[in-house]
Amino acid sequence: MIRIAQLSCGSEYSGIQKEIERAAETVGAKIVYPEVTLDDILSVEKTFGVSVASGDLNLAMARAVRIVENPDLADAVVVMTCFRCAEAAIIRSEIRKFIHEHSKIPVLSYSFTERTTAETLLTRMEALVTTVKYRGLLAREKQTGLTAGIDSGSTTTKSVVMRDNKVIGTGWVPTTEVMKSAEDAFQEALKMAGVKKEEVSAVGVTGYGRFLVGKHIDAKLIQEEITVNSKGAVFLADTQKGPATVIDIGGMDNKAISVQDGIPGGFTMGGICAGASGRFLELTAKRLGVDITELGKLALKGDYKNVAMNSYCIVFGTQSLVNSLSMGKKPEDVAMAACHSVAEQVYEQQLQEVEVKEPVIMVGGTSLIEGLPKAMEQLLQVKVTVPPYAQYIGAVGAALLVSGLLEG
Amino acid sequence: MAKVIVYPPTSMILSDLVERMGHKALVVPEAVRKLATEKGIDSPPLNVTPEEPKKGLRYAAVDVPSGVRGRMALIGPLIEEAEAAIIVQDPGCLTGCAGCSRTNELVRLLIRTKGVPILDLSYPTNDAEARDFVQKIRAFLEGLK
Amino acid sequence: MLVTKYVITSTESNILPSDIAMKIYGSKYDVLVKETCFGVIVNGEEDVVNALVKEIRSLDPAGIFIKDRGFPPGDPRRCRGRRGGGARPGFYMIESESKMLPMISRALASEGEETETIPEKKKPLSIKRLDEIIKEG
Repeated sequence: MIRIAQLSCGSEYSGIQKEIERAAETVGAKIVYPEVTLDDILSVEKTFGVSVASGDLNLAMARAVRIVENPDLADAVVVMTCFRCAEAAIIRSEIRKFIHEHSKIPVLSYSFTERTTAETLLTRMEALVTTVKYRGLLAREKQTGLTAGIDSGSTTTKSVVMRDNKVIGTGWVPTTEVMKSAEDAFQEALKMAGVKKEEVSAVGVTGYGRFLVGKHIDAKLIQEEITVNSKGAVFLADTQKGPATVIDIGGMDNKAISVQDGIPGGFTMGGICAGASGRFLELTAKRLGVDITELGKLALKGDYKNVAMNSYCIVFGTQSLVNSLSMGKKPEDVAMAACHSVAEQVYEQQLQEVEVKEPVIMVGGTSLIEGLPKAMEQLLQVKVTVPPYAQYIGAVGAALLVSGLLEG
Repeated sequence: MAKVIVYPPTSMILSDLVERMGHKALVVPEAVRKLATEKGIDSPPLNVTPEEPKKGLRYAAVDVPSGVRGRMALIGPLIEEAEAAIIVQDPGCLTGCAGCSRTNELVRLLIRTKGVPILDLSYPTNDAEARDFVQKIRAFLEGLK
Repeated sequence: MLVTKYVITSTESNILPSDIAMKIYGSKYDVLVKETCFGVIVNGEEDVVNALVKEIRSLDPAGIFIKDRGFPPGDPRRCRGRRGGGARPGFYMIESESKMLPMISRALASEGEETETIPEKKKPLSIKRLDEIIKEG
């Protein structure tokens, strides 16, 4: 049984404690609370570095200190506090950093509301448990034999066929009917690779349609996209040793993953705002009358500062872009402003929650819109790498990991 | 006998002194008991469900964290019932129902703006202060009708 | 209605939690009792529990304190054994206040006696005086 230590403030009074425990249980884990004394709580200023007005946050910090001193007490940590609490946001982030710096225990940080359900937490918990349970598998650096991966995403379905550490076939289709799209993408990849379905020794599946697709095609590995994508990213970017940061701006949700030796150490997953997603860029391309594949190149010629955007929102932000066009602003400036807007929102809301260490790797279909990694580079002030096959990252990660399972 | 709300609302010392001096202390465990014994709810550990933060909207707006509103759903009705209050500041260690400082600030504000008699004290640090503490509470409670 | 109350003894009281438990076991009251490190937890019908704690208090009026508790003793929803360990958050508040109980006990015991005046709390040095000290140096 995987033990997840819960360091939190407010979950019981938000009425979501049961949801946290249900999510943990679903992924085969148990929530635990490290024992601390009153003196431990009263001395957090000395042991952790600060004490705050809220006692439950001091208790969470005391528990963090205890875990760092006794790493055997827990296999993973979740740090959870109320959304919109400034005091808690500071401490949540500091607890995450503290555990990250002083131990090897993976940390998940999350801010909840009373609407948070077990379903919202499930993928995050699954990833947390995977990093503990399958450390050996995740440390795998090479794909062997003939395997395939399918990434059933919310907007597009991707598939790859790999042989002896090389991608030999790819398939990419818009997601319509989950199962049919998976089948089509897989067929496309098989065709390009010139191999038959029966020859493939194992298939790994990821993405939000993974359970449905995985069951249908009898996949050997059905895995959430956080661990799979980070594996795929460091493999393709050839940075399997040492630290890395993976940013994946998807169609429906975004992931920021801090990776060490190919294994996620901390991550965030956000997905409420369409303004921070690929959809926003799709809409911008449509407004500008260019194909989405052209938007990035157009953006590279523009300057976001020439366009005033007063909102990140997909409705009101787009309105700003349209207004700018009617005021005679150049399409390239508008294209870059849209890229900057998406990057900035991800930077503000997600990258603050993970350790951003170089190399920074951007993956997923949106990373091919050249303006977006460029905007991220400007914000982070570091070089952003987009590896080959960046849009197939999940499928590559799945094909790689499933080959590890074959060897037992 | 007056209904007296104490702050911190989970204080053992204050609720004990109020009750031993013949008054009714309004305390959070009573609110928790109501939830804990309610049939058909299974939301450990406190039986607080997402309904409580919604009930808390009576005391704080939706942009106030859910943990504050959930706690207010427990403490707010006690404030409404109160006929007098004893507020003790510098409490040292407040956890659980009193573990959120934003909630505690709102609780104190709502008590103070209610217009009931209030006794303000600090926790004693020596015997002389403890005697003064007990005497002031007795005098305050005796003064209540 | 069933209620639960903590009976907490000051560390300086001559009455031990086990004495209280023994007294309850030997009494006519139909209640559930659980001993803890700082006292006992009593659960039963409200009027029964109220009458009982009144009797217990009389064992050492200044040294025994009563606190309400929401959950019955050993409730699986609150019990640390079933909830991944760690004390429930409210426990630390009881522990923190328990440290003050001997002081409060002595104050209750000496009620009615002549009391000494409390020395005024130290105030920060006035800026004027600080200025003088700096110049003296």
